[in-house]
Amino acid sequence: MILKTKLFGKVYEFKSLREVMAKANEEKSGDKLAGIAAESAEERVAAKVVLSHITLQDLRNNPAVPYEEDEVTRIIQDGVNETICNEHKNKTVAEFREWLLDEGTTSDMIRRASRGLTSEMVAAVCKLMTNLDLIYAARKMRVSAHCNTTIGLPGTFSSRLQPNHTTDDPKGIMASVMEGLSLGCGDAVIGLNPVDDSVESVARILRSFDEFKNKWEVPTQICVLAHVTTQMEAMDKLGAPIDLMFQSIAGSQKGNEAFGLTASMLDEGRDMMLHKATSTGPNVMYFETGQGSELSSDAHNGWDQVTMEARCYGFAKRYQPFLINTVVGFIGPEYLYDSKQVIRAGLEDHFMGKLTGVPMGCDACYTNHMKADQNDIENLATLLVAAGCNYIMGVPQGDDCMLMYQCTGYHEAASLREIFGLRPIREFDQWLEKMGFSENGKLTPLAGDASVFMK
Amino acid sequence: MALVSEKDLRDIIAQVLTEMNVGQDGGSAASSGSAAKADCQTTIEDGCWDDVAAVDLRTQYLVENPVNRDAYYDLKQYAPCRLGIGKAGARYKTLPVLEFRAAHSAAQDAVFSDVDQDFVDKMGLFTVQTKCDCKDTYLTRPDLGRVLSDEAVATIKEKCKKNPKVQIYVSDGLSSAAIAANVGDVLPAIEQGLKSYGIDYGTPFFLKYGRVGAMDQVSEITGAEVTCVLIGERPGLITAESMSAYLAYKATVGMPEARRTVVSNIHKDGTIPTEAGAHIADIIKKILDAKASGTDLKL
Amino acid sequence: MKETILSVGIDIGTSTTQLIFSRLTIENLASSYMVPRIRIVDKEVTYRSEIYFTPLLSQTEIDAEKVKGIIEREYRKAGMKPEDLQTGAVIITGETARKQNANSVLASLSSMAGDFVVATAGPDLESVLSAKGAGADRISEEKRIAVANIDIGGGTSNIALFQKGSLKGTSCLDIGGRLIKVEHGRISYIYPKIQKLAERHGIRIAVGDRADESTLYRVCEHMADQLAMAVHVMEPDELHEGLYTNDGRPLTAEPKAAGLTYSGGVASCYYNGEPGNVFEYGDVGVLLARAVKNNAALKTITTYPAAETIRATVVGAGTHTTNVSGSTISYTSGKLPIKNIPVLKISEEEEQEPAMFRDAIRRKLKLYEGENGLEQVAIVFSGKYHTTFAQLQELSRTIAEGADEVIAGPHPLILVIENDIAKALGNALNVLLMRKKDIICIDGIFANDGDYIDIGEPVAQGRVVPVVTKTLIFNT
Repeated sequence: MILKTKLFGKVYEFKSLREVMAKANEEKSGDKLAGIAAESAEERVAAKVVLSHITLQDLRNNPAVPYEEDEVTRIIQDGVNETICNEHKNKTVAEFREWLLDEGTTSDMIRRASRGLTSEMVAAVCKLMTNLDLIYAARKMRVSAHCNTTIGLPGTFSSRLQPNHTTDDPKGIMASVMEGLSLGCGDAVIGLNPVDDSVESVARILRSFDEFKNKWEVPTQICVLAHVTTQMEAMDKLGAPIDLMFQSIAGSQKGNEAFGLTASMLDEGRDMMLHKATSTGPNVMYFETGQGSELSSDAHNGWDQVTMEARCYGFAKRYQPFLINTVVGFIGPEYLYDSKQVIRAGLEDHFMGKLTGVPMGCDACYTNHMKADQNDIENLATLLVAAGCNYIMGVPQGDDCMLMYQCTGYHEAASLREIFGLRPIREFDQWLEKMGFSENGKLTPLAGDASVFMK
Repeated sequence: MALVSEKDLRDIIAQVLTEMNVGQDGGSAASSGSAAKADCQTTIEDGCWDDVAAVDLRTQYLVENPVNRDAYYDLKQYAPCRLGIGKAGARYKTLPVLEFRAAHSAAQDAVFSDVDQDFVDKMGLFTVQTKCDCKDTYLTRPDLGRVLSDEAVATIKEKCKKNPKVQIYVSDGLSSAAIAANVGDVLPAIEQGLKSYGIDYGTPFFLKYGRVGAMDQVSEITGAEVTCVLIGERPGLITAESMSAYLAYKATVGMPEARRTVVSNIHKDGTIPTEAGAHIADIIKKILDAKASGTDLKL
Repeated sequence: MKETILSVGIDIGTSTTQLIFSRLTIENLASSYMVPRIRIVDKEVTYRSEIYFTPLLSQTEIDAEKVKGIIEREYRKAGMKPEDLQTGAVIITGETARKQNANSVLASLSSMAGDFVVATAGPDLESVLSAKGAGADRISEEKRIAVANIDIGGGTSNIALFQKGSLKGTSCLDIGGRLIKVEHGRISYIYPKIQKLAERHGIRIAVGDRADESTLYRVCEHMADQLAMAVHVMEPDELHEGLYTNDGRPLTAEPKAAGLTYSGGVASCYYNGEPGNVFEYGDVGVLLARAVKNNAALKTITTYPAAETIRATVVGAGTHTTNVSGSTISYTSGKLPIKNIPVLKISEEEEQEPAMFRDAIRRKLKLYEGENGLEQVAIVFSGKYHTTFAQLQELSRTIAEGADEVIAGPHPLILVIENDIAKALGNALNVLLMRKKDIICIDGIFANDGDYIDIGEPVAQGRVVPVVTKTLIFNT
């Protein structure tokens, strides 16, 4: 492993693979905040040059957090298929990049390779990709999963209906659910971020979702995004109907601890889901991630936010999720400064998740203290569909009044489907037609009229 | 007996008006003889369009010919979000797009502009700053927003009453608009509440580019029993004027976040600022009585 | 945070006397980092008494001692003590409310009905309470329509109309099951207005006549028609107006009820079927139920099942009279509870102009000057026009001037406001009056001229007070 290169005649020497990985990143305010970013544009390129020569084996040998100290590392390393790993381990990152892009490399070949990769390898190759590379490579990879319906099949594009409410008012939430469905939103999941994460409140909302879903025979999944232990209690003690179990996750054990989470909790949660949930499965978990969360809880171990993010996907893979999405612009400008950084991060995360082998969606979003606006987020959403993203979010006109941020609106999924010739999940598509909201994949004039559900 | 409904009436009136316009247009077209010529004669008229930022989202209902208008209209009253907005193809109608952009512009201005210094001076507050040298540093370096500049430390030591029961100060946080909209009511209401309880308080001031955590250093410098910062919240699109109060008993640098008590959502459509001030005074009294704050204090 | 408060409802009606205990759950619905928002989130009836015939000394006098005995026995059976209760209502309803000794009955009960139990009555309130007990308000809200409840009791039929959950009107008619009584197979009593109704339709009945089922059923058919007229599904005849209790008013024609529920003793026959002997209860209640059920005009409106029938009023009284105030309020501790405080309402127009506000308080206070000085009153206003700090200072001065007589007097200054400003206003007044005056300043409550209110002891760590607003006590 050589950590030194010349660039424009100047010698750049890096002390560790960690330093190379951090400095090879595209510019991110979070890496600067952590004090690990390249100090100049030229140093960034020098790090990329050095990284291009690193072998996948070197990356395997240098996990971001030592094996002995971190259960996320252990889960990733122990999950590696050694036979497949051996096929790729002598490739340099540059060679691996070209192999991924090669016309002879198929979706199935990449899917197989996924089983032999660690998250550090995934992150490394991402750092050598341009935005279009990330789209081009991700486009090849399809990762589908089945809960009540199947997400991620070719020709489909889905959305999560996110009916968040400032006070969890059940009527207000249902008003939002109705309008979202009427616009073709919600085939991935109807999922609420609760204000009140008490067990009773979570169970109450799940019941109202379940009742509505059954009454109108909506072929989808329901979820309330409370802590995994709360959902378990709601299911176990109050018999709450749950299709998908949610949890925010991080790329290190310490990061997960900041979320009050351990791997065994997720094992237990998934086991309970398989025994008690209302859904068909086998994919019954839903995770959210986002670059920068490890740094914000001082759990990054000196590593960069792209690598830590890749480790989230490595960790998630163990639980065979139905949905995983990166909440890419929620964290704020100290991690992703502006729209350029958010768009880059969205494409990186989507690519890395797919290369890891998990079914990826993206909450393309921004907060009001970030230099970004709705146009930027529409750009990112469009790029993600081009990259074959499974799903995006949908909130009323992109304005989440509870989380106080903006993301994609109820109208976006339908617009993008029309532009790219895609459909919702088949059963949901048929349901939309039955309800009269769409015809041959296009919204009808009735779409957007939530009062249809008031009959 | 067939009653003419309000909607029918509206339709009839609209029809009559359309017909009147058709007549006029027909007349003018006939007299001028050329549409192109009429265009050349465009004049600037008196008049003013309605304020799109003043539209009440709850009463706005733009869906065309809904099958069950009243029922959904009633239901949507329970949600503060942008519902019943209809569509143009699979995209948004123009009015909601403009409303959204207006709300976002207010949010961005609230974040990226500074609190008007005249306002601060008029409130009788002296101004100090954290280690952030500008808004951009403030936004990207939360660590610096938690530390007072050396000059600030000296000024506070010089100007503030020592060891007060209560130290209140104001900080811009993520919304200068929140400060401008609320402090004028909240601050005197807290002070009046404290007076009514007979609790004495220190010298208030304004901290520019401050994060919540700066209150710990303020507490250490002033030696206050209770420190309270009024700080702008990160704006959403529903309002850019929401303010929070963070309170702590004998705050120290590095103490757990859980020791802070928070009162959020202070704005004219949330908790009315004056009433929030009275409530905060009440909480200050409870903190003093219990000698505890945050999760240690059961409110 | 959940907390429960216990409530009692006692209904002494024309024909029956009943009691219920219920548990109201209050909860802070706001998250811990917001200003509290405390609401009643659940209401549960925990105990229902037997249904007693109201003991009477004569046709016009309630047997207060026997009523008291009934209530005491029911308390014992429920294992409840007066001091366990935080709120509730005793109401003397229907024809009985006009009985001469109603006040003495209430007085005999107040000592043992709990510290915060209040005496209230009046046909408007009874209409509302029975409708809420029957669930008409809830049905109207869920179905998004106008629903009227007709509470057909012994002496009166109380009607309340709700549209989409909010009250649109009340009325009360002298139509009831016990307006003709039957003893030993003979008519023993006929209420004069019913006698007249029968005569108008050429039906001759007199006290002492044999109780003929078909003749009395014909009278009941005409009584049912009067109810149909009251809900505007039949054109009123010339007698209709005279049948309103105490010359009361009919419901307005709009909104028209699209749904009906029935409560009261007669309604239990309506929903549950008739007993074998139509005169089993010694009156025409069973026949009236049958007539209502068969009435063609009333059948044009959808009838919904009532949540309560014979117990609707008492359940309404026990569970639907209490509200909680806003969660940021101001009061002098030790001054609560206070009961039966008349409302002095300042109109929104008067509120907007300080001099008008001040003068309105002064002018209206004069109405409450009695032999022993000024009565205790609650000054009630919307509070919409004073929200900034400066406006509230001005408001506190206006009130201090207008209510100077109250401030100089022995009673606390009581302010009841709709808008959320009570704590700030309370502070302003305390500072202005240098904490020398007891002040009770609460918000989140709506009341009108002519109403009376009760303010209970604070609950939820002193953050809110239970409040009962009573519309038109003894509407005679």
